[in-house]
Amino acid sequence: MSTETCDLAVIGGGVHGASVALFAARAGLRVTLFDADALCRAASGTNAGTLTMQMTRAALIPYAMEAHKMWTDASRWLGHDVGVVACEGLSLAFTEREEQILSDRATARGAAGAPIRLITPEETLKIEPNANPGIRMASHCAIDGYANAYLTGIAFRRALLEAGVTIREYTPVIGLEPTGQGYDLKLRDGKASARQIVLAGGVWLEPMMEMLGLRLAIKTLVNQLAVTERAAPLMRTVVCIASGLLSLKQFPHGTVVIGGGWQGTGDRDTNSHRATTESMIGNVRLAVHAIPRLRQTRIVRSWTGFESETADALPALGPIPGFEGAWICGAVHSGYTSAPYTAHCLTQAILGGEPDMPLFPIDRLLTAPLRDPQRSTH
Amino acid sequence: MTPRTEIADLIVIGAGPAGANAALAAHNAGLKVVLVDEAAQPGGQVWRAPITAKAKQSPVKDIDRKMGDALRQQLVSANIHILTDTQVWSADRQPEGFEVGTIGEAGTVFLRAPRLIAAPGAYERILPFPGWTIPGVFGLAAATALLKAEKTLPGRRIIVAGQGPLLIAVAAQAVALGLRPVAIVDAASRADWAKSLAGYARQPRQLARGMRWMAQLTRARVPYYRQHEVSSATGADSLAGVTLRSLKSGETRTIDVDTLFVGNGLTPADEVFRLLGADQEPCPISGTQRVVCDELGRCSVPGLYAAGDAAGIRGALPALHQGRIAGLAAAHDAGALSGAALSAALASSSRALTQLQPFADASCRLMRLSGQRVAAAPDDTIICRCEDVRAGDIRKAINQGAVDINQLKHFTRLGMGPCQGRICAVNAAEIIRQETGAAVNSTRLTPRGPIRPLETAQLIGEFGYSDIPIPKPAPL
Repeated sequence: MSTETCDLAVIGGGVHGASVALFAARAGLRVTLFDADALCRAASGTNAGTLTMQMTRAALIPYAMEAHKMWTDASRWLGHDVGVVACEGLSLAFTEREEQILSDRATARGAAGAPIRLITPEETLKIEPNANPGIRMASHCAIDGYANAYLTGIAFRRALLEAGVTIREYTPVIGLEPTGQGYDLKLRDGKASARQIVLAGGVWLEPMMEMLGLRLAIKTLVNQLAVTERAAPLMRTVVCIASGLLSLKQFPHGTVVIGGGWQGTGDRDTNSHRATTESMIGNVRLAVHAIPRLRQTRIVRSWTGFESETADALPALGPIPGFEGAWICGAVHSGYTSAPYTAHCLTQAILGGEPDMPLFPIDRLLTAPLRDPQRSTH
Repeated sequence: MTPRTEIADLIVIGAGPAGANAALAAHNAGLKVVLVDEAAQPGGQVWRAPITAKAKQSPVKDIDRKMGDALRQQLVSANIHILTDTQVWSADRQPEGFEVGTIGEAGTVFLRAPRLIAAPGAYERILPFPGWTIPGVFGLAAATALLKAEKTLPGRRIIVAGQGPLLIAVAAQAVALGLRPVAIVDAASRADWAKSLAGYARQPRQLARGMRWMAQLTRARVPYYRQHEVSSATGADSLAGVTLRSLKSGETRTIDVDTLFVGNGLTPADEVFRLLGADQEPCPISGTQRVVCDELGRCSVPGLYAAGDAAGIRGALPALHQGRIAGLAAAHDAGALSGAALSAALASSSRALTQLQPFADASCRLMRLSGQRVAAAPDDTIICRCEDVRAGDIRKAINQGAVDINQLKHFTRLGMGPCQGRICAVNAAEIIRQETGAAVNSTRLTPRGPIRPLETAQLIGEFGYSDIPIPKPAPL
């Protein structure tokens, strides 16, 4: 196994890591991307693909808006198709309490720059004629849409290869050692070294940080989804509900993906997760409540994937304190939407520049003292 | 409205020879059993009940019909609690045992029990060839289902093709219906059949039936192409012609027909086992995977038992005994049967199984579909019919870096349609294996529910908005 030192080792080949690797390689760095599995096969390949502002945290809206532009323009910068469709988005309220949530959220997100406005049931039904006429109010966002998440891996793979990134799939990094000039990466059968490293492991950021002796708590959500068989056109927007626990969209080939963050069961350490029947019934009921004609479809498959979240549900994005040339990228609630842009900002910092928008340094999240710096430089 | 839950000592999935006998054995030992089957009547595939008047009235000479009728009678007499016309769509492990989600006329019903015997049987395989999805192409197993249930077959000019004993059974019964096949196309050679004869001879009754069928075919002068396979079929909206190819010389000939029955062996229906995380192993005889179980049917998941073809393709008669054994084992493990009583009760079935094994192996060998034959599919052959993924698309995806079948699914949508990968995955796996040398564990799709496509209306039932347990909203 070659121990040639690369400029940048990215550990974790999801949409965050793959984007950083791509941008860094295009800027001229020699980049190796490691993943314990195949590229974009965890959250980045199994999430609902929603590119919505309505479920994005207010503080991330400016990033998500920029990222939305990138996603819809993927053919230009990525060069490959992720099946992105830009459309309007609706979030529905069925109760008085949900009306309140909706208007609070629309206000906060609107203030952050998302073109969200509250609309009447009549207007909602004009936009989405198959929506439940029993709604009390909706919030409408002109900027919404979705990607076909399972295409993320093949699209990035092609782009990364074209950019000259060395892709090492099925190659977990099991140890990290600072050398003074960079880092040694311990692999199952050998080692690699890099001048700089980026940890981009999603839910596995927590064990990755432990390799540096740092404690960063990452919450693991087990999001559950379901998909119908191909159906005649039923809807044309991304439909959510006020609480955020529904995301619905019909793909051009006719299937309707039902998501919203209902929980399955799973365990990060064994990388096992599965759907529960309770969540499936609840989620599908909610979907049918929003778009009653979904009752006539068939559910073909349900699946689960991990979503990672920091303690404050904002990104872990920036330098790793105390470790020169080590960076972290990820752990964002609804991170898929913002990923290309947050990764772009981080890459600017890695290259020694000033990011277009501020990073989210992790000092606020570290709960344990740093490892003795004397030891760590061995 | 929350779905209804039924609680039992034992859930049995599948009311074929294996499942029905498992249910009977456990019930007789005192367990509270619930038996589920997706068909209207018990019997499974081989002992399928007649549905039409024509099928019911035809003289009961057939051994499968007799066995099936007897089994149905036994289930009625024993007053076994059976849910027919009911699909199993979920299987979960819980602290206290298993929960199985079903959908039937009553909507969604959950079954709970500390023990579960799964006897879901097998699926038929078809060696994909260009044109295999044209209307007018049927499986051999579909033909036997039609013969048993309705005593009829579609078509005027038919070809019966594939491999294994079903070929002879379907062709002969077609002749008996006055529908003389234009050709029988058999992948096996005379020598392959001769090798199987020793195994078949151990079951004289079955052998005699097979010989009777062969004699019928000879009398009717049905052309028999040995060591041949269907290499393509043509037709737009319906089948027009079938091209046969000699496996020895590669020579081809095209025959005009409107109907083709074709089958290339069986593969275990193992969704329940895989969803529950039971260990699998390669089956050396059939070449497919099977669930790992001990001689009493106990799987690697405590409380889960396998019986019948799911535990390795053996056929209906062994399945009867495997079912009985698993039922007795479950009763014993539940404390309803002492060790001594279990041993005594097992003796006859264990003996029968040993006796039946050579017969089962003989059939299995004839039905074995070689991976190379599948992997040789020309690029324009459809592999995944739901999503129209062709062999060439799979090879292209492999060249682009798909090294396992789940990645292939992402790259091509293979297995994402309503068949849920049941038909295509095993064939796509052969192409991956051929092209990459991948290990078996990376050639199985991750198991995903529901086990069958679910009608949304049936799944969710009637409900009000307040019935939906909406979790706490995410942070602003």
